[in-house]
Amino acid sequence: MSKFADIQIDAAIVRRAARGDAHAHEIIYRAFAGPVYSLCLRFTRVPAQAEDLVQETFIEIMRSIAKFRGEAALGSWIRRIAVSKALMHLRSAWTARGQSLADDWNEVTPGDAAGHGVSSQPEAALDLDAALANLPSVGRAVVWLHDVEGFTHKEIATLMGRAESFSKSQLSRAYQRLRPMLAVPGEELRGEGAALRGF
Amino acid sequence: MSRDSKDEEMICGLTADERDLLQHGLRELPDVMPPRHVWQRIREQAEAEGLIRQRRMRRPITWHGGLGLAAAAALAAVLVPVVMKSPEPDGVTVPPTTQPTNTVEVNALQALMVESRQLESDLRSLPDEPRVRQAGTVATISEIEDRVAAIDYQLNDPAIHMTAEEKEIFWRERVRLMKLLVGLRYAQAQRTAF
Repeated sequence: MSKFADIQIDAAIVRRAARGDAHAHEIIYRAFAGPVYSLCLRFTRVPAQAEDLVQETFIEIMRSIAKFRGEAALGSWIRRIAVSKALMHLRSAWTARGQSLADDWNEVTPGDAAGHGVSSQPEAALDLDAALANLPSVGRAVVWLHDVEGFTHKEIATLMGRAESFSKSQLSRAYQRLRPMLAVPGEELRGEGAALRGF
Repeated sequence: MSRDSKDEEMICGLTADERDLLQHGLRELPDVMPPRHVWQRIREQAEAEGLIRQRRMRRPITWHGGLGLAAAAALAAVLVPVVMKSPEPDGVTVPPTTQPTNTVEVNALQALMVESRQLESDLRSLPDEPRVRQAGTVATISEIEDRVAAIDYQLNDPAIHMTAEEKEIFWRERVRLMKLLVGLRYAQAQRTAF
């Protein structure tokens, strides 16, 4: 379950924020800044870009919160805005480089994650974080949206303006890259003899 | 099994164990907090665009949870005895018989202040934070302290005039965060003890 869903904000604070109360907005920011920044940082890998995206996300929240009716959880609504901003950023980066969404699988240099800015975590988390950072930006975004935020392939495809098969293909390629990280203690899952489902 | 998950299983190339391990690992990655200047930038842009009401009094926010906690504890310590002694506590001028709603609000507020003070006491009774700490726990504790400090700032800012209902909202949130904080610090102390 996404961390966004775990955060509860009193409805009265949301109503105050809708009236433009700076303090209510600050409470919302303090509650969601971590998940929003983490999502943006894992999409972009560049702290300065992630900070800009956090700013864009919370400004959008301030512009739109008066229209928030509470049909969905506040966390889901905020997550949707953050994802939209982060994907828009990725799209603009791809456009600027004249590349298609699927082109960047060849440009990642293994081991370049050391300086990606997500640090000071326990060792295992660091390893996984580094492996995630080594993925191309699209694959990383798909993995995060699917496995952490719980989006379906259909939803991811809609967000990215692509077909479902694109999302599945990106996830599959990302898993192939991440697979060496997944040694289960006491078992040998990396070898060719491992029983893989679906093959 | 849904069609979507069936499709995933056919293409993902991982065993169920591997996928569970990966998903669990990804979901357990700790959140990273943005630098503190980010909120300042957001607030300045929001004020420039007229998205939030500007503060009548400006003063720098100090993000020291301890100070905030102490301020709120002092506030509770001063207010609660007064409220308990007087039939017409702070801000309530109408007798309870004619204003039952206000009475309920004040009593709820009073209860929250007492609970908050008790939680402060519980927190102080725990041993100091250990030298060796889990990074994720430290980040979470720091985040909660920031949120408590932000609430304390509002509760203690003389330029902010809140109704009893509004105060209750903020005190309720404060109590909720304090419970989380005490729980985390207690777990931290338990890990150190064993």
